[in-house]
Amino acid sequence: MDPSSSGIQEPFDLIRLSLSERVFVKLRGDRELSGILHAYDGHMNLILSDVEETIMIVDEEGQGAVNIAKRKMNMLFVRGDGVILVSPPSRT
Amino acid sequence: MSGLQGYVDQRVLLILQDGRAIVGVMAGYDQKSNVVLSDSKERVYSPDEGVEEIPLGLYLVKGDQIVLIGELDEALDQSVDLATIRAEPLPPIRY
Amino acid sequence: MLIFSVFKTLTDQTVTVELKNDLSITGVLKSVDQFLNIRLDSIKVLDETRHPHMMAVKNCFIRGSVVRYVQLPAEHVDTQLLEDATRREAAAQAKR
Repeated sequence: MDPSSSGIQEPFDLIRLSLSERVFVKLRGDRELSGILHAYDGHMNLILSDVEETIMIVDEEGQGAVNIAKRKMNMLFVRGDGVILVSPPSRT
Repeated sequence: MSGLQGYVDQRVLLILQDGRAIVGVMAGYDQKSNVVLSDSKERVYSPDEGVEEIPLGLYLVKGDQIVLIGELDEALDQSVDLATIRAEPLPPIRY
Repeated sequence: MLIFSVFKTLTDQTVTVELKNDLSITGVLKSVDQFLNIRLDSIKVLDETRHPHMMAVKNCFIRGSVVRYVQLPAEHVDTQLLEDATRREAAAQAKR
C-alpha cells in the first residue's frame, strides 16, 4: 500500500490521525490508559478526556497473581516521559 | 517563569527524589533550582515511632534532586508535635 | 510550547497533580514555566493521614520532571481548540 494514501509518513502521523479518537496508552509503572486524545507534542505529552486508567499490581508473594486497579478521570494531562506507546484501540 | 521567587528567607519543606524531607530557611537558589537552606533539618518518618529531626545546618541541594518545595505555615508547623506523627517515609520517585 | 500554553490558560483554576512518587496534590494553579514546573496555592494532599509530611505546607513549587499526571478542570478546556492547535503545531513541525 502506498504510505501517502493513508497520510502516514512518520510515527507521529499515526498519533495526529488519532486526534479526537479514543486511544490506548501504555505507560511506565505497569499503567495503561484509554481516553480520547485532544492534544500531544513532540515529547509525547498528551491531553486526554474521559480517561480510564488501569494499574497492574503484581503480587510477588502470591505466585505473581496480578491485581488490577481501575479509576476514571475526566480530563488528564499525561507527561510524555512516562509514555511507552500510543495506539488507536479500535484497530487492536 | 514559575520560579522560586517569594520563597527566599521563608521556612520551606523540600521533598527529594529519594523520598527524604528536609526543612530549613531558603537562603538562595539559582536558574537550575539548586537551593541553599540554612538551619536545615532532615525529618525522618517512621511507622513505629515519632518523627526524628536530624540537624544538617547549611545545606546545598542540587536542583535535579528536588521533587517539590513547599512554603511552611510556621505557626501551623510549630503546633504539630512531631513526636506523635507516625507515617511511612515518602516513596522515592520512580520513572 | 502547546502544552505550556494550555497550562497558562488554566491559571487560577484548581488542578490535581499526581507525582511519580504517588503523591497527589490538589491546589490552585498559580504559574507554570517552559519546563512545566508548577506552582500551586492552597494545596491539599490526597490521603493526608497516610502522607502527613506536607501538613503545614500552604503553597508549593513542583518540578515538572516528577509529574506523572495533572487532572484538569474539563469545563475550562476547549477540546476543539486543542485539537486544531495540535494539528497546526504538527504541521509546523513537519515543514521544518
